[in-house]
Amino acid sequence: MSALFLVVVLFACLLLGVPVAISLGLASIGTMVFFADQSLVSLAQRFFATMQVYPLLAIPFFVLAGTLMTTGGTARRMIAFADALVGHFRGGLAMAALLACAFFAAVSGSSPATVVAVGSIMIAGMASSGYTRAFAAGLICNSGTLGILIPPSIVMVVYGAVTETSVGDLFLAGILPGALLTLVLLASVAVVARRQGMPRQPRATLRKLLRTGREAFFGLALVVVILGGIYLGAYTPTEAAAVSAVYAFVISVFVYRDIRLVDIARVFKESAATTAMLMFIIANAYLFAFVLTTEQIPQMASAWIADQGLPPWGFLLALNLLMLLAGSFMEPTSVILILAPIMLPIAVELGIDPIHLGIIMTVNMEVGLVTPPVGLNLFVTAGVAELPMTAVIRAAAPWLLVLVSVLIVITYVPQISLIVPEWVRAPTAALS
Amino acid sequence: MRMRWDGILDRAEEAFLALSLAFMTIVTFVQVVLRYVFDTGFVWHLEATTYAFGWLVLVGMSYGARTNTHIAVDLLSTRLKPRAARAVGAVALLASLAYCALMIYGSGVFVDRLMTLGNDARDIPLPRWLLTGIMPIAFALLGVRLLQAGWRMFAAAQDRGAAR
Repeated sequence: MSALFLVVVLFACLLLGVPVAISLGLASIGTMVFFADQSLVSLAQRFFATMQVYPLLAIPFFVLAGTLMTTGGTARRMIAFADALVGHFRGGLAMAALLACAFFAAVSGSSPATVVAVGSIMIAGMASSGYTRAFAAGLICNSGTLGILIPPSIVMVVYGAVTETSVGDLFLAGILPGALLTLVLLASVAVVARRQGMPRQPRATLRKLLRTGREAFFGLALVVVILGGIYLGAYTPTEAAAVSAVYAFVISVFVYRDIRLVDIARVFKESAATTAMLMFIIANAYLFAFVLTTEQIPQMASAWIADQGLPPWGFLLALNLLMLLAGSFMEPTSVILILAPIMLPIAVELGIDPIHLGIIMTVNMEVGLVTPPVGLNLFVTAGVAELPMTAVIRAAAPWLLVLVSVLIVITYVPQISLIVPEWVRAPTAALS
Repeated sequence: MRMRWDGILDRAEEAFLALSLAFMTIVTFVQVVLRYVFDTGFVWHLEATTYAFGWLVLVGMSYGARTNTHIAVDLLSTRLKPRAARAVGAVALLASLAYCALMIYGSGVFVDRLMTLGNDARDIPLPRWLLTGIMPIAFALLGVRLLQAGWRMFAAAQDRGAAR
């Protein structure tokens, strides 16, 4: 009964256009007040306590680092390097845009941020070199989803926080799947480019390749700063996020010198606003998750699924379908916060590694970012490409096939996700 | 006169957001340096950072309502006729205001209890009620901002209706 109330209120609010954060909060408060003996006081206390969840503290820092890199010229330098690398292939500029998304994903933890950084430069560039605007928008909308798969990743931070899984291991686990998705997307662009006779550019000279590589180096080195620091034990993932924000600040202001001091206040304000927007959803989703647990809903759901006697592959299939459905209606962090605590115990029971589950969920969320009605990447792409939503949805659709096929491979071949964290962990384990 | 007050509040909100994020970043970074390089640190750094984070999010909520950046699903409202869309918008606004009212009440009682208790935070020599006292104020401000945004939308729709 209470579960029904919770879901009905949530969907009614969402449908009416109440902000996602408030819909989650109102449904949770309503259920608590009517059905459980929880007071509003304890909910208010829980709301505030969300901001004291240590891993979540990484979010503002990763957002700040990403905004600094987008506002400054770091994104532009990465694009120039990507172009020098692959521009001479048929469809080279499209490949460069895709590769630039992968590079930028390695310094930013968010997919919409990746689309903004690369899309705002590359969509116009591709349009003026003979690609259609729709093709450019569709490609970048999908490639931008790499932002949450290639470390760092805000979605992985949230998954790690709510399931108490190592964020460092999740980051490492994302490397290989991210590379795989990038390669498959590159191959798809190559096929489409050959079939449609897309333009190519002159091959970059070695000198140019080296120069653009050196200029992009400080940006690309960020991922080493983050992962290296975590694994050397110099700092926690949350501190790594703060270090990367300071690093991004130093290279943008003192090394590249492309953020003026007057812009800095605006960068901080925008990052803080984005953080607050995300955390407002997350804090209410925590209330929602709290209601789910006090009402024993995850336990009942896992008991029900366990009773079905699903084999692991069947469970993974059901999980993917559920995540894809949820991902089209909700924004990634809320989906993870609600579904991860329900799914984790069942997965562990069936012998699925929590790290692998986290990667499967992340890739599902990538698909969710480009499927209507709620797809953040679609919204952002429509903005930067200056195209109507419907056009972006249509342009993004064919690439979804690529995303979904990679999702299937990653789901059923756990080694892709687990080999890197195991390989890094092995020498440390041998030492102790 | 009212305009000026609004303007001051807006700027204060923005300055607070930027400064609290800068504070969190610097404190966390300095702490890493102190620990890793000098093997020392401040006991209060973590608590100060998390409280700043809490304040940032609470103040940022109403900034998001003012700039209309909170994510919502526009599945229904974009498909309805203007009059029906306005009615749906009004119901959504009422639901949001109900949320604010409940949170103001809950957090108000929470802060009141902390005042009665009167204890200090763990590492910061300040009473806990002072550090959490922003909560009812922030939810009240969120309510005001939502009302303002709703009013602007309503007025804009009226203008369009009059022009037609």
